[in-house]
Amino acid sequence: MSRNSLKWLPAIVVPAVVVAAVIAAPLAAGAAVDLPDKTAEQVLLLVNDSTVSTFSGTVAQTTDLGLPSLDLGAGMPGTSSAAAVSTALELLSGSHEFRVYVGGESQSRVQIKDRMAERDVVHNGSDVWLYDSSTNAATHLSIPADLAATAQAKAAELESQLPADLSSPAQLAERFLANLDPSTAVSVGTDARVAGRNVYQLVLTPKATDTLVASVSIAVDSETGLPLQVTVEARGQSAPALQVGFTTIDFSAPNADLFDFVPPVTATVTTPAFPTTPDGSAASDTGDHSPAAGGSPVITGTGWSSIIEVPALAVPAELGDNPMLEQLTEPVAGGRTLTTSLLTVFLATDGRVFAGAVPLAQLQAAAE
Amino acid sequence: MSSSEVLPGERPSVVSARRGSGWSLLGSEISVLFRRRRTWAMLVAVALIPILLAVAVRLSSEALAPGEGPPFLDRVTQNGLFVGFTAMVVAIPLFLPLTIGVVAGDTIAGEAGLGTLRYLLVAPAGRVRLLLVKYAGAALFCLVATLTLTVSGAIIGAALFPVGPVTLLSGDTISVSESLARSLLVAAYVTVSLLGLSMIGLFISTLTDVPVGAMAATIVVSVVAQILDVIPQLSWLHPWLFSHYWLGFADLLRQPLDLGSFGQNAIVQLGYLAVFGALAYSRFVTKDILS
Repeated sequence: MSRNSLKWLPAIVVPAVVVAAVIAAPLAAGAAVDLPDKTAEQVLLLVNDSTVSTFSGTVAQTTDLGLPSLDLGAGMPGTSSAAAVSTALELLSGSHEFRVYVGGESQSRVQIKDRMAERDVVHNGSDVWLYDSSTNAATHLSIPADLAATAQAKAAELESQLPADLSSPAQLAERFLANLDPSTAVSVGTDARVAGRNVYQLVLTPKATDTLVASVSIAVDSETGLPLQVTVEARGQSAPALQVGFTTIDFSAPNADLFDFVPPVTATVTTPAFPTTPDGSAASDTGDHSPAAGGSPVITGTGWSSIIEVPALAVPAELGDNPMLEQLTEPVAGGRTLTTSLLTVFLATDGRVFAGAVPLAQLQAAAE
Repeated sequence: MSSSEVLPGERPSVVSARRGSGWSLLGSEISVLFRRRRTWAMLVAVALIPILLAVAVRLSSEALAPGEGPPFLDRVTQNGLFVGFTAMVVAIPLFLPLTIGVVAGDTIAGEAGLGTLRYLLVAPAGRVRLLLVKYAGAALFCLVATLTLTVSGAIIGAALFPVGPVTLLSGDTISVSESLARSLLVAAYVTVSLLGLSMIGLFISTLTDVPVGAMAATIVVSVVAQILDVIPQLSWLHPWLFSHYWLGFADLLRQPLDLGSFGQNAIVQLGYLAVFGALAYSRFVTKDILS
């Protein structure tokens, strides 16, 4: 009998060991890290002094906004701007994994890993390629040569306008902190490990109590000064509302072939003109919300509890008759609202749209 | 293990043939497995999956829009090498686990059901060795089944469609020889994916003398795991399900090659091997062999 019970021992011990390993592995990875103490200003300087120009790694993004999961492809009209909106919404919901390769200032590649598919953005010099494997479609953008020059000129111009006391990064960090001071408490949190590296955590905590943001923490690599992770916590929620961070990182230069994108022969290639605004400088986004005449967004309030108001004229007409909106929003007094743990959007019945990281009541008050 | 289980004088030829080193036992196990008509029928059915896919795509007149149907199916007409990948995606959720369930569920329970188990156990310490040999046979079947799928997919794809450089998910293009190497890597990934389920089948097989019951239970376990894998409320459990990384071989079709999910998959499967191996050992060495 005792021999038989001995023989049952492996059946108890092995699962116990496996379970213990499963529990212990994350604990070991999160073991206490003790780095030399630094002030928030010193951590900012560390970021500023970072000389990292090449790296490759895996980035994980998780979002927990308390939104219902939706089939975002359904119910969207087939226009390109709607597709862009649904892509943005899709990337903001759920969790995603990216692979990021950066080979200097003008070479980078981001791969969004989908199930059995992938979307790629390749930037090499003046060429930008977008590739989507599920539709086998590639888009080629050429950045106008004068754009880079314009941007540089703008930057130089801005720099010359800076007060003289901001010539050194240390002063810049000091100024930055001073500017933040009325609205935000900046502190250095407990040291941690991100992507297997020791990090300082720069924690920004809003001083205002009427915002939904509880804190924003930025994990800064203690050796290279590269920010490795950003976590946004929402009030009244234990899981981070938004977290983007490296899970692995390698500071060696990625293979140069990676940035040399040649679209597959079978792919459909489109080459739209680079979007430009009338004054000659290129628009930074795809121009989804080009403000119509008669209204540009107004920001009221300050700091974390500021509210953005989009006048009815500037709201794309197609937004109103989008069936997905019906699903996403719920009716409240004076309009409809989309409430997430981090952001509230209020669609007033008169067509104006209010948004902010504040409770709904404040948006309603702003609408009156 | 007690000597009372050895029945002296009964079928000595079987005893001596199955005795000796573990290798000869393994050899006889493998030859029994691959001489079975059932095994051949399952391998033929596995080989038919890519053939059916390719013939259906070849005969249909309408071109598929990109993204329609199972992954890669729209690429098949342009490049026959995608047949194998599409077939793998189609086969892994149900068909491959089904065949593994039949083979792994039959291992011990099949011998018990036929009344041949006790003859296999006459050698000292025979039970552990028998378990290992039975598991090795089931694992070999996993490899043969996935290779059958890959090879038949490559052959039918090359026969019916043009073959050329393959476009990976990242949009980069690789040569035919490299794509064949990646196909083999995918086969290896899928084989590893099925090892955990094989061990679960072996354990279930030690619980019963009715092989059909063990086969059905193994298949049910694989289906239940996949159902649990799509319930969002159980997301904490998902990374620990043996079926979670089954479709992760897409990572082998990215450029640069991403072996991350290969490793994660292997670790999860190792965990299942350890747990269910231990359970199968304890159950089998304490079992009263009556048939």
